[in-house]
Amino acid sequence: MSRLRTAVNNLNLRRLRFWLQLGFFALLVYGGYFAINLGNNLPTFACGFNQEGRGGVCFLLPLQHLMAMNWKALFGYAGIGVLTAFLWFALWFFVLNKAWCGYACPLGTIQDWITALRTRLGIRYARYSQAQFRALTPIKYVLLALTILIPLAIGGGLLPHTMGTPFCDICPGRMVIPLFTGDASQLTIDFSSKTAMVMTALGMLVTGLFFTGAFIKKRFFCFFCPMSALHYLFSKPALLKLKKDGDKCTRCGDCYRVCDMEIKEIADEVNEPRIMQDDCILCLKCVAACPEDGALKATFAGIPIYESTEQGFIKRMHKGNTSERHDHD
Amino acid sequence: MSDMTTTSAGPAYNLSRQAREAENVLDHITDRFDDNPQAMAYFYELFRRVYCQGEALPRQGTLVGTTCIHAPEELIYAMGATPVRLCNGSYHYDQIGADFMPAKSCSLVKATLGMLGSENAIPRVGKLDLVVNPTTCDQKKKAGAMIEGMGYSVHDLELPPAKESEESRLYWQRSVRQFALRLGRLTGNKLTRKGLKAAMARTAHAQAAFRTLHNLRKSSPALFLGKDAFLVTNAFFFDDIERWTEAVEKLNAELAERQKNGFQAAQRKAPRILFTGSPPIFPNLKLPLLIEEAGGVVVADETCSANRMLYDMTAVDEWRVNDMVDGLADRYLKPCTCPIFTRNDDRQRRLLELAASFNADGVVYQAFSGCQVYEMEQRSIAEALNARRIPMLYIETDYSPDDMGQLSTRIEAFLESIKARKRKRA
Repeated sequence: MSRLRTAVNNLNLRRLRFWLQLGFFALLVYGGYFAINLGNNLPTFACGFNQEGRGGVCFLLPLQHLMAMNWKALFGYAGIGVLTAFLWFALWFFVLNKAWCGYACPLGTIQDWITALRTRLGIRYARYSQAQFRALTPIKYVLLALTILIPLAIGGGLLPHTMGTPFCDICPGRMVIPLFTGDASQLTIDFSSKTAMVMTALGMLVTGLFFTGAFIKKRFFCFFCPMSALHYLFSKPALLKLKKDGDKCTRCGDCYRVCDMEIKEIADEVNEPRIMQDDCILCLKCVAACPEDGALKATFAGIPIYESTEQGFIKRMHKGNTSERHDHD
Repeated sequence: MSDMTTTSAGPAYNLSRQAREAENVLDHITDRFDDNPQAMAYFYELFRRVYCQGEALPRQGTLVGTTCIHAPEELIYAMGATPVRLCNGSYHYDQIGADFMPAKSCSLVKATLGMLGSENAIPRVGKLDLVVNPTTCDQKKKAGAMIEGMGYSVHDLELPPAKESEESRLYWQRSVRQFALRLGRLTGNKLTRKGLKAAMARTAHAQAAFRTLHNLRKSSPALFLGKDAFLVTNAFFFDDIERWTEAVEKLNAELAERQKNGFQAAQRKAPRILFTGSPPIFPNLKLPLLIEEAGGVVVADETCSANRMLYDMTAVDEWRVNDMVDGLADRYLKPCTCPIFTRNDDRQRRLLELAASFNADGVVYQAFSGCQVYEMEQRSIAEALNARRIPMLYIETDYSPDDMGQLSTRIEAFLESIKARKRKRA
């Protein structure tokens, strides 16, 4: 058992994660071709507009549809449907927590591939300043609120029906993910109505930003993602957790250094064991980059499954004088 | 300044005085203790050659002296230059250096100045092409200009006075990049991805060897003594890094063997001491030696001549020059527990962690007289330790041997009280 644990802690996380992400990508983007259907309430961007290939549907799509229902229905019998949908979402989410972002999300994976391309080209990344970072954090909550409030207003007759799925209209996933099954039909501007035109044009713009942003900034889109905000609201009881033992931390900042989401607390916070912050994507790169035994760990239902170790750190970071092992997968 | 360095006596006399001091300590380290590990012979021999016989260190290419652990050695190696740590522990040079500094100032800074200001100084590091002086404490800061006055070329590596804020981190990252540029101008070399990666791997290899040694000291009863551990890390100041790593790995292998055989280098009940504060640097191993002669054993330390210098390892996300340099900058700033920074939470937490994981019975806190920052932190550290019921002995001293008698009485009493506590608990 302890040998297994050592082997796991010595894992080359970068490689493992690459393959897991590829697997999830195949499942969520091409699963439909193999009659896989994980339902309509997945806590990740398994885009519903990828009609044929989808192996499940992103919860934000049904959520917006349900919210746009007539108020009488919504606050009456149909409310049960909304609750059931939410329960399914919560159930999926409780298993993996935000690792849905770091391991499963197709849009996240695409961004990581863009990052891999950038590093191969030898181009450096950009970082936010702390002030910019703080300014960005609320945006995803605003987007989440709008994602719910706009459909709600439609249901109450306050807004036109053409705005039925406002977030999907501007989500880069809607345009990018269907492309992987050869469907470019989403990459258009809808001229059927004025609102549709504005929203889809906005969507085109966001998609452009998505590609340029992801090329210079690791996980650029995730900073704005309303799904990430929704996750965080319900993340406390989730089974998969990121924990920190502050007593063992030297605050060397190695975890912060490798964090795609630039979460400073991961290095600085030493009193709160529940270290996962709202931007966290549970990629566990911080655990892999921590040289202190047991300072950071991922636990599943309270059982440690992946722990920072000195030995693992040394194995991963420096293999020897001539090694070129750490090039990107 | 050079006229004052050696006028009072000829170089031969100086050499012999310096050498006598070193020889005394070395004899002490080797002869007064049984069970010295065989692999320590490499280090004893190295110190004997360098400090007693005045053998010149074999050096090729550009030589960069450093006055503090904050100068990233990986950058120096990557530029094809060799770093050598100048911090000196000799009472002889302390006295010479007294001319530069006010009466009550740090022995270490004075000795370093005295050494740099002397001709034919020991250790014979060779002609320094550059001295990197990180702007840490006031005394080191002001020493920079004095070293320049002696005719050296000095780079003041600007270190922020706080380390928590993002501003200080970015300031330091810029400062380190400036240093890399200066090294580039000095050596005429360019920082390449391959070169830096190889240099970082070499240092990481040395650090891994150090960590293994460090972890072996958790063993109880002790496998070897702290005086030897200090000698090992002290050799890192000037030894060839690869040879040093190899020698440490040999020592580790021997100690692992000892562990397997249940060997005891100290009594089972010997008080286990955590050493903190001003760094013991050869030949000033006064306190560790007094502790271990009195029956204690130094099992861990939190000083910049040992643990703080080698423990923390660098992480890099993208192995390109920019990320590697920034990663190095972070590693040299963020985990540092030097008292020059505004806050000392990290030092308190580090000491508590070390005391717990090394099962230490007490802490000995050395402050060189005149080292204000260590003197000022004494109180907060004692409080943090006492809150966990860990006794601490605070000792203010310098390089002079005059207080040995008095110190040995205090240390004996401290160890005795620890033993009494242990008996009571048992």
